[in-house]
Amino acid sequence: MKRLVTSLALAASLTAFSATGVLAADAPSSGPSNEDLLKSATNTEAVLTYGMGPQAQRFSPLTDLNADTVKKLVPVWSFSFGGEKQRGQEAQPIIYDGTIYVTGSYSRLYAVDARTGQKKWEYNHRLPDGIMPCCDVVNRGAAIYKDKIYFATLDARLVALNRETGKVVWNKKLQDYKEGYSNTAAPMIVDGKIITGNSGGEFGVIGMVEARDAETGELVWQRPTIEGNMGTLNGKESTVTGKTNASWPGDMYKTGGGATWLGGTYDPETKSLFFGTGNPAPWNSHLRPGDNLYTSSTLAINPDNGEIKWHYQTTPHDGWDFDGVNEFVSFDLKKDGKVIKAGGKADRNGFFYVIDRNTGKLINATPFVTKITWAKGIDIETGRPIYVDENRPGAPTEGSGDAKGKSVFAAPAFLGAKNWMPMAYNPQTDLFYVPANEWGMDIWNEPITYKKGAAYLGAGFTIKPLYDDYIGALRAVDPKTGKIVWEYKNPAPLWGGVLTTAGNLVFTGTPEGFLKAFDAKSGQEVWKFQTGSGVVGSPVTWKMDGEQYVAVVSGWGGAVPLWGGDVAKLVKDINQGGSLWVFKLPKA
Amino acid sequence: MRHALLGSHLTAALLAAATPAFAAPSPSDPLGSVMWEALREQYFADAPVVFDNAVKVTAPASAEDTRAVPLSVDATALGQVVEMLAIADLNPFPLILRYHPGTAAPYIATRIKIQQATAVRGAARTADGVWHVSGVLVDAAGGGCSAPPVSYAQKDWADHVGKVQARLWPADSDGVARLRLRIRHPNDTGLVDGIPAFFVETLTVQAQTPGGPAELARIDSLEPVSENPVYSLDVRPPPDAKALVLRGRDNQGGEIDAIIPMPPPGARPAMTLRPTDPMRSVGQ
Repeated sequence: MKRLVTSLALAASLTAFSATGVLAADAPSSGPSNEDLLKSATNTEAVLTYGMGPQAQRFSPLTDLNADTVKKLVPVWSFSFGGEKQRGQEAQPIIYDGTIYVTGSYSRLYAVDARTGQKKWEYNHRLPDGIMPCCDVVNRGAAIYKDKIYFATLDARLVALNRETGKVVWNKKLQDYKEGYSNTAAPMIVDGKIITGNSGGEFGVIGMVEARDAETGELVWQRPTIEGNMGTLNGKESTVTGKTNASWPGDMYKTGGGATWLGGTYDPETKSLFFGTGNPAPWNSHLRPGDNLYTSSTLAINPDNGEIKWHYQTTPHDGWDFDGVNEFVSFDLKKDGKVIKAGGKADRNGFFYVIDRNTGKLINATPFVTKITWAKGIDIETGRPIYVDENRPGAPTEGSGDAKGKSVFAAPAFLGAKNWMPMAYNPQTDLFYVPANEWGMDIWNEPITYKKGAAYLGAGFTIKPLYDDYIGALRAVDPKTGKIVWEYKNPAPLWGGVLTTAGNLVFTGTPEGFLKAFDAKSGQEVWKFQTGSGVVGSPVTWKMDGEQYVAVVSGWGGAVPLWGGDVAKLVKDINQGGSLWVFKLPKA
Repeated sequence: MRHALLGSHLTAALLAAATPAFAAPSPSDPLGSVMWEALREQYFADAPVVFDNAVKVTAPASAEDTRAVPLSVDATALGQVVEMLAIADLNPFPLILRYHPGTAAPYIATRIKIQQATAVRGAARTADGVWHVSGVLVDAAGGGCSAPPVSYAQKDWADHVGKVQARLWPADSDGVARLRLRIRHPNDTGLVDGIPAFFVETLTVQAQTPGGPAELARIDSLEPVSENPVYSLDVRPPPDAKALVLRGRDNQGGEIDAIIPMPPPGARPAMTLRPTDPMRSVGQ
């Protein structure tokens, strides 16, 4: 074999005059275009975008697999990420042209043959010693565009690789990891620009949305998420975000948090990027009176220049780490005989919001968990929460003797009624499928000053389950009414993404190690498979050689074992892992 | 005539490619390395190979530090050389570097990692396509390629990756000037548990001239080059050069970019480092 290869290489170089051998040998396909990415939601032969479409509905039109045939779904192969770097695997695979591109913990990227499971190449990012990821060394996925594949790293860099060879094309610094920045989200490509958010909300960083030229990696625009900070466009200052000091006292907006750590979604119909923003810093809300715009919000951003079109703040003056990064999923709300261009967001604070995606105006907000202590509800007219003031953790100075403020029991817990794990929307059932968790926390405030690169919390906390028999709950939410149509209860907290299909199915993983399928209308469990470690990634489906495939990563980790308090005890015996599982429905 | 010559070369080479059985028999290795046949096929394919003392390889008989073994390959006795290779036969990655001397003299020196006692070779391809090979045996204790780099003892190693120290000496009467480069880089092989491959891949030396940049020489460097790689080259800066520019990249897209000033007036040329009588280099 080796002899053959060397002989061929020689022949090719010598027959350069005739050129035929050279061109035929390595003519790579040109790769997905902007148009392909915009239409990726309906492309059943590939999975080109994080969210299975720019709107991130995670809906596949495929019907081969359905509630009846799913029992014949069988594993085809499994691919190990190798090494000792197991930890949490939160990625969603990208599938194109017979290759699966999947990211692993510790900033690794793999290209694997989709038919055989054989590795094509692996990129292993050399991380410096001082990285500061708050919530495990995860990565949520890659982006594909033309001849390149992109992913962000824990030392806050963005790497572009040739998708055929795995060779690095460019490697750009997004932020300084020493100040607490990192990056775990999947990048997004819109109109030739690669768009990223940032992580580091626990370290007093400034949330940022940035667009770069996808070919060169050169910066096009930057939009800070905290009012008072200056944006840039084409290397020049553009506009200030919001109005300085309108909702922040003094200089606190300079370390205000609002990290965009989950990345965003894009709606081609209204040409808007939607980015959720994280908690304000520090956690102790008494230090920063005001709404603290635009933390714990959803921002609609013009992808051409980075200007904010509208914002909706889900938790003004957040005092519970109800970080509002949760994905905003565009969908057509069919209500009272009308179709409204809306978006759905299951917020960490426990409410499911339906918002007009043209204007940012609230249409409806309803609880999707059983217990919410911090607010009685959301005022639909004003769009603001009706606070329960006594449930806000007390100021440290109000405490007697020691500096600790009054502790309160609040629900949801700071890990959220729903955390990072993406929900799915099925336009055939008109339901959202939300991976929720039922837990609360004791939370109190402590004195704090900002120090570059140090955790900027000013709060203590411990998480407690609300019920003995379950924490996780996969819930089908009707966006017209906010009603929970069905639910599946899981003993451990749910931490993986959801997929739904036109075959009336909903897939999600569990920390107990199962990938499970449910009837999308009834919620009845119709299939499960044990992957050997906890599933906290996002499943995808596609069609190849006439058969429907499903892929998901397995590998327990994420924020729960690190921050879960009492809950961590429930999950401490789950074994770690790191692998990609691929299933298919064999031809009859 | 030139065309006819090219044609006949082509025919011969193509014939050789199509029917390996008729390829010229490989000369037997004067160093008796078990890897020679495999390496010959991998790096020289069916190109003609001769063992030739005109290529002088210098390395210690016994490696004091297997993570930094000095090595030089000098092919100046061959006249014009198109490409040079350095190979350590028994390393997990035998190929150390490829050097494209361009307008420079065919001489390169560096420091390398050695995994075990091995033949270390230099090869130079002349314009006629013939590879001239020579080498020495280096005795060594094991482990140079799979020991963690020293720099990781320092927490701030990542702050200095890609920084360059360089010195250019004045040209001698032949217009040849010694250039020495040192680049801060862990140059990880990927063989150490938990440390991914991370090494300098390409380096190009250019001259800044009024007519624009002119490439003088290029190195394709690989895993076996030591941590904080050092290279000595004998370049020929054009007389109107204002400065030299070093541009490079590591395998993770990290960029190396440095301007090397011309030597100050009155500086003396570098003392030649080339041994006049490299007794231990075996080419036949």
